[in-house]
Amino acid sequence: MSEVPTDALDRARLDAALSHGELWLRYFEMGGMSTALEVEGYLYGALKPSDHDHDVLVHAINERFVELGGNHPVPYSEGGDA
Amino acid sequence: MRYDWNAFDSEGPPERPLVAWRDLEAHITDGFSVTVDLSEDNAGTDALLCLMGEIDLVNVAVFDRALHSVIDQGNRRLVVDLGHLDFMGIAGLRVLGAAAARLDPLGGTLMLRSASALTRRVLSITGLSEAIAIEGVESGFDHLGPEQPATEVAATATTDVDLLGDVVPVAALAASDDVVDAALRLVVALARATVEGADGVSVSLARQGRLMTVAATDETIAGMDIDQYATGEGPCIDAATEGRWFHIESLEEELRWPSFIPRARSRGINSVLSSPLLARDQPVGALNIYSFTERAFAAQEQQLAGVFATQTSLILAAAGVDASAGLIGRRLQGALRARETIALALGVLMERDGVTADEAFNIIRRSSQSSDRPLSELARDVVSSTRQVGAAPAPGDRGE
Repeated sequence: MSEVPTDALDRARLDAALSHGELWLRYFEMGGMSTALEVEGYLYGALKPSDHDHDVLVHAINERFVELGGNHPVPYSEGGDA
Repeated sequence: MRYDWNAFDSEGPPERPLVAWRDLEAHITDGFSVTVDLSEDNAGTDALLCLMGEIDLVNVAVFDRALHSVIDQGNRRLVVDLGHLDFMGIAGLRVLGAAAARLDPLGGTLMLRSASALTRRVLSITGLSEAIAIEGVESGFDHLGPEQPATEVAATATTDVDLLGDVVPVAALAASDDVVDAALRLVVALARATVEGADGVSVSLARQGRLMTVAATDETIAGMDIDQYATGEGPCIDAATEGRWFHIESLEEELRWPSFIPRARSRGINSVLSSPLLARDQPVGALNIYSFTERAFAAQEQQLAGVFATQTSLILAAAGVDASAGLIGRRLQGALRARETIALALGVLMERDGVTADEAFNIIRRSSQSSDRPLSELARDVVSSTRQVGAAPAPGDRGE
């Protein structure tokens, strides 16, 4: 994973047509423990999430991609798990 | 006994008696009490004040009297225990600030014990944490955001409207009604203190399909709102449903709302300013400012009310409140159920496989990826599989 802060997650969110609120709700449903504000920080690369938080968020986005007929394009923390 | 200081010295009761003030006439709340312990038992402390209940604009005078009496009697090292205080608003903070300002030149100290996270945050935002020590926090600072400049302790709140912007992160901590209500109580207290001519402020919100008052500076004002809900008419209702401003300059001359006006006048109200609260451009409630004086709200006050309304809308937006409050409620309920199911499933896997919660999550998550089935569905399978004897293999089982 690149060390340079990036808003890649937020761009993935946009591609998945998820609002910030809806994404947080889905993340929350899966047991996510970070606040809506922190999640926004993760999305923009302003805050670094734990691996677990990162993966819950990524899975929320990926499940949405599946809903839209796609796959699980966003990589998880361990990498190579697509 | 609730208080941890209620232990007498082995040689007998303290020389100076405990003094208790009880104010059971506090509106809205069940009661508020300040109990003062002047015994020698409290190491390094001259006086310990324990607060119970809620401090509002009506009973804050009791707290003020207690603090200053204690200082008048020569006590210099004060500890105020907030452990049983349900709510401390701006009024209570100003009393604390004034007491700290009085103690400082006397070489005295004021320390807070068991301050809630919200209280500590508000102290930090208002800059009072520089003047008032918080037990257990080294520098007296406990802030989550950028450092705030210390504000004049005894100053009125007129210039601090922007501090509402810092209340937003508090509301974003959880989409729960309690946190939103706490933030809104701060807003109404601040609005009441800041808007010239305001005698009462309330916030009404649409919840579960009904308009209800979620914060009010006193009972008269809450009663005003109730009058509107009861008659089904009033500026608050119209602002909340139409998303527009409604200003009654003089209730005596007002022709609109013929059922509501007489009731309001009988309570002594003579002008009203209702500002809509919007979330995603939809009206979700109203910020209502009432005055016993007619024509109390000129252009400047209206503008200030607008600023408060905007800040309140931001709080609501951060907390995830939107127009379909009923829908949000159901959505949240569904989300909570799904979250509980996943927690249960993780528990099952942790027990079964001897793994950590994060590892258990990865197991279900990988299963969800490979099967293209939603995680919540798999979690339900895991949980229901525990109820069956000889159940089909659950996600993550060897050989899946």
